[in-house]
Amino acid sequence: MAREVAEARTRTPRGWGQERWLLGLLATSLVLAVLVAAGMGAVHVPVWLLARSMTGGGSLTADQRIILFTIRLPRIVASLLVGSALSVSGLLFQGLFRNPLADPYVIGSSGGAVLGASIGVFLLPPVSVAGFGTTALLAFAGALGSITLVYWLARVDGRTPVVALLLAGFAVSTMLSYSSYFLEVMDRDFGTGMRVLASWLHGTIAQPAWPQLAIVAAMLAIGLAGSVPLARNLNTLALGEEYATHLGLSVQQIRIAVIVIGSILTAAAVALGGLISFVGLIIPHMLRMVLGPDHVRLLPATALAGAIFLLVADTVARTAIAPAELPVGVLTAFIGGPFFLYLLRKTKQGVMS
Amino acid sequence: MIPLIEFAHVDFAYGDRKVFSDLDATIFENQCIAVVGPNGAGKTTLLRLTAGTLTPASGEVHLKSRALQSLKQREIARSLAFVPQNVEVPFSFTVEQFVEQGRTPFLKMFAGLCAADYEAMRRAMELTDTWSLRSRVFNQLSGGERQRVKIALGLAQQPQLLLLDEPMQHLDFGRQFEMIDLIDSLRREGITILASIHDLALIEGTFSSVWLLSLGEPMRQGLPEDMLRPEVLEAAFNCAPRHRFRLLERTQNRMERAL
Repeated sequence: MAREVAEARTRTPRGWGQERWLLGLLATSLVLAVLVAAGMGAVHVPVWLLARSMTGGGSLTADQRIILFTIRLPRIVASLLVGSALSVSGLLFQGLFRNPLADPYVIGSSGGAVLGASIGVFLLPPVSVAGFGTTALLAFAGALGSITLVYWLARVDGRTPVVALLLAGFAVSTMLSYSSYFLEVMDRDFGTGMRVLASWLHGTIAQPAWPQLAIVAAMLAIGLAGSVPLARNLNTLALGEEYATHLGLSVQQIRIAVIVIGSILTAAAVALGGLISFVGLIIPHMLRMVLGPDHVRLLPATALAGAIFLLVADTVARTAIAPAELPVGVLTAFIGGPFFLYLLRKTKQGVMS
Repeated sequence: MIPLIEFAHVDFAYGDRKVFSDLDATIFENQCIAVVGPNGAGKTTLLRLTAGTLTPASGEVHLKSRALQSLKQREIARSLAFVPQNVEVPFSFTVEQFVEQGRTPFLKMFAGLCAADYEAMRRAMELTDTWSLRSRVFNQLSGGERQRVKIALGLAQQPQLLLLDEPMQHLDFGRQFEMIDLIDSLRREGITILASIHDLALIEGTFSSVWLLSLGEPMRQGLPEDMLRPEVLEAAFNCAPRHRFRLLERTQNRMERAL
């Protein structure tokens, strides 16, 4: 007994040891993945050359430099931002709905963001900074509106049954993506708007300019900073709303905060990548298997792992069938679809309740 | 004696269905009260009114002479802990992570757990004999273990008053006796207890008083030996007289000691 108590006192809180190890591993993988992805493409740039040029040994040719800084790196940063934003919003929504099947795509918040963003595209050219900012803002409004609708539709007596959640998400997201098509038809000049919209609906990581990346990076930063104080509350909320209320949690406020932060993250992801499905489902689930369900521990790992996952997926998507490019959304749907079905099967006993 | 909780002229109804009217009751420190009554008489409602998650239509509930309505739930949760009947956890939290939630009313927004929090959790788990379960997954525990872990969460709140909603339900009698022992040891720790109890035979010897609810009648309060009499129960539970021998069986404990 005495020995056990002593052990408990010296033990690091929450067992952060394993956590640190994993975060270190993820950070290392992130750097490696960026180097490899930067080297891959029509013009090959060897990894060792990249590593040397980044530490100050300027041995890249002018062409390589242009390819790197105007084409590959923006795309790499974009996929990192999108992957991170999607995974963390997935984690938040799963906590909110107390359901491991919630994902910004599945519950229709991505669909809402696409509709909002398409309205933006048809109002202002998205290539300008102001235009992109407006688009992102409208994407946020769309995400917020759809998630609120789905939440309101799917809740039965303070609970969110799986079937209700999935059906409400399905209906709302279908409606919203097809509204985007409707906007496409209404477009007079069949110009940029349509092209942008098509790439959104396929889930293609756009070829962004640095100012656009800065806007999305800022949204991601706000989203992550906002998630930090919410993570612990999501653990408490997992016990159910009544229990959480008894424990002194302001459930209503937490709910609103999660919906707002989750929508900012969804909008950030959609503004650059459109409808990319299931990333927010796969990443938190995989990490839960390693770290357990504690949202405080899951949050940083989810942000990192999501970034790595989408970078790898996007690099495969753009190089696998070169010179043609696959939208990364197609790839994640291929991987994530079966994964979603597996999870659905696993939680089958919960489906009817 | 210091009153911990005071109900003053409390009315409560679900829509048209009146559950309590003009309820007056007091919980003193170190009392151990069993709330007894037929289904739908308002046992859980009474616990929720005490915990401040339901608000009376009129009248007031006071916690240490302050009106519950004027207190934040967070403040209330530092003085009393509610242990609900059923908990569904969608994720595989360990027992330790589960019990940690009991520290919620004490945590600041950005601060993590400190040594005092871990100390309270350890103490709560030791009292409930769940320390050895701390790395197990809550959802994989047996009914009896789960019940003890839920109480550990409540004790991690370091409450003066513990509200237990049907703590013995769905437990086999071996586990029920363990629960009785646990309640006894909590009393010795100086924790006041208000528990809704279905099984009348488990009340005497452990609980110091009984609150008897019955449909459409005012609540009755008294000592277990006065309240658990067949004729009193018969009226409260609305049983036909031909079942009296069954009622006697339920309160056997009392009968034997009377002999």
